Amino acid sequence: MAQGTLYPDVIESVSFTGGPSVTIKSHHNGGGLPERMNMKLVEPLRELFKDEVRALGRELGLPEAFVGRHPFPGPGLAIRIPGEITHEKLDILRKADAIYLEEIRNAGLYDAIWQAFAVLLPVRTVGVMGDGRTYDHVLALRAVTSVDGMTADFFPFDMGFLGRAATRIINEVRGINRVVYDVTSKPPGTIEWE
Amino acid sequence: MTDTILIIDFGSQVTQLIARRVREAGVYCEIHPFQSAEAAFAKLKPRAVILSGGPASVTEAASPRAPAAVFTAGIPVLGICYGQQTMAEQLGGKVESGHHREFGRAFVSVKTPSPLFDGVWDKGGEHQVWMSHGDRVTQLPAGFEIIATSPNAPLAAVADEKRRFYAVQFHPEVVHTPDGAKLLANFVHRIAGLKSDWTMAAYRREMIAKIRAQVGKGRVICGLSGGVDSAVAAVLIHEAIGDQLTCVFVDHGLMRHAEAEQVVGLFRDHYNIPLVHVDASSNFSMRWQASPTPRQSAKP
Repeated sequence: MAQGTLYPDVIESVSFTGGPSVTIKSHHNGGGLPERMNMKLVEPLRELFKDEVRALGRELGLPEAFVGRHPFPGPGLAIRIPGEITHEKLDILRKADAIYLEEIRNAGLYDAIWQAFAVLLPVRTVGVMGDGRTYDHVLALRAVTSVDGMTADFFPFDMGFLGRAATRIINEVRGINRVVYDVTSKPPGTIEWE
Repeated sequence: MTDTILIIDFGSQVTQLIARRVREAGVYCEIHPFQSAEAAFAKLKPRAVILSGGPASVTEAASPRAPAAVFTAGIPVLGICYGQQTMAEQLGGKVESGHHREFGRAFVSVKTPSPLFDGVWDKGGEHQVWMSHGDRVTQLPAGFEIIATSPNAPLAAVADEKRRFYAVQFHPEVVHTPDGAKLLANFVHRIAGLKSDWTMAAYRREMIAKIRAQVGKGRVICGLSGGVDSAVAAVLIHEAIGDQLTCVFVDHGLMRHAEAEQVVGLFRDHYNIPLVHVDASSNFSMRWQASPTPRQSAKP
């Protein structure tokens, strides 16, 4: 069985609390296989950092648009919906996320950003759309720059861009009536919300 | 075997950045924690060693040390922050807990030309570096001299050129030391004499041979997540063993818009790699109902 385990997943980390012992990360890519599966692991990227994997991808002829893709977490959109996850919320988030990324690509900013995504918050607020009042979800937009994911700064979009993205999302996605932008860096924040 | 640099990790938050800078200079390196450094040193037979920073204080009794063999093997050693302090202490110098804790930007001035600074810093120049330390070296071991100094760290950079031992109080591996990557490149190229032979073209050739040797006539299954890592792994393995590889892409219903189509298109049409596409979104949605909050992702 092949896995895309990377070097940061397998580096043993220093532990001072456990005396002279060494902690091994319990990352999903680093755990090995249960014996009863009777399979062996093929992990051809075990020695590489993320940027080296991208360079290897280019070396192997993978399209640039694929190699340069932003990181995306294994649990997918589920970790971008704090609270209860429903099909309806997933659909709302998927649509809003697609519009946000389309605007980023249209503005030529995709490659300047390490990771960009939307988070559907478990909060509803009041809005006015047309002649009626609405009571819908808040969507948070996140975009960060980083060299390696270990530290990150929020991306300094201009207000015109944020206004355009927010207007399109609220107009085109039913269920969202308010959009906010996350201006937290890492540290003290993290890149993802969950 | 590839020429290797051993990085001994004393627990700094930025040890991985040292490895990245060394790799960017085209030289292979591995990080090992100080607890298993002695075994790693014996196994890897490194051409040079870098000692990382760390949160401990050399002045405390149980604080970690580098294996003594590192200093008697006749190879270059670079100590960074805690690495500088333990190196100084182990070679007969003195370290004291600082009265001047220093975190953040500082400026060093170059006192003596050194291969560490060649082509980067000239004598007399002032240069920005990133400091993060409480302790400092107060007495140098025999054979060392000061090569750069700063107002708060008189021993900002020291060297024993004869034994090729170098030690810096600042962190050359972080971007806030703008010339740091060049200093590390000087250490691996000029001082350790290593060539830039760690390239992805070489890695590809080497890994294809390894995969063929490991798999033999067997078969390999590879799960695709839609991300770069599993895709690169799959393409590399396919290049090595062709159709002995089968890829599986499970759509758990939590993908981004049009993500599944892109992955399937890339593998089936662009590469013609056998791919099993499983739409399991209905299976997975049953599970969310049972446990509505997903476990936190380990990264980033």
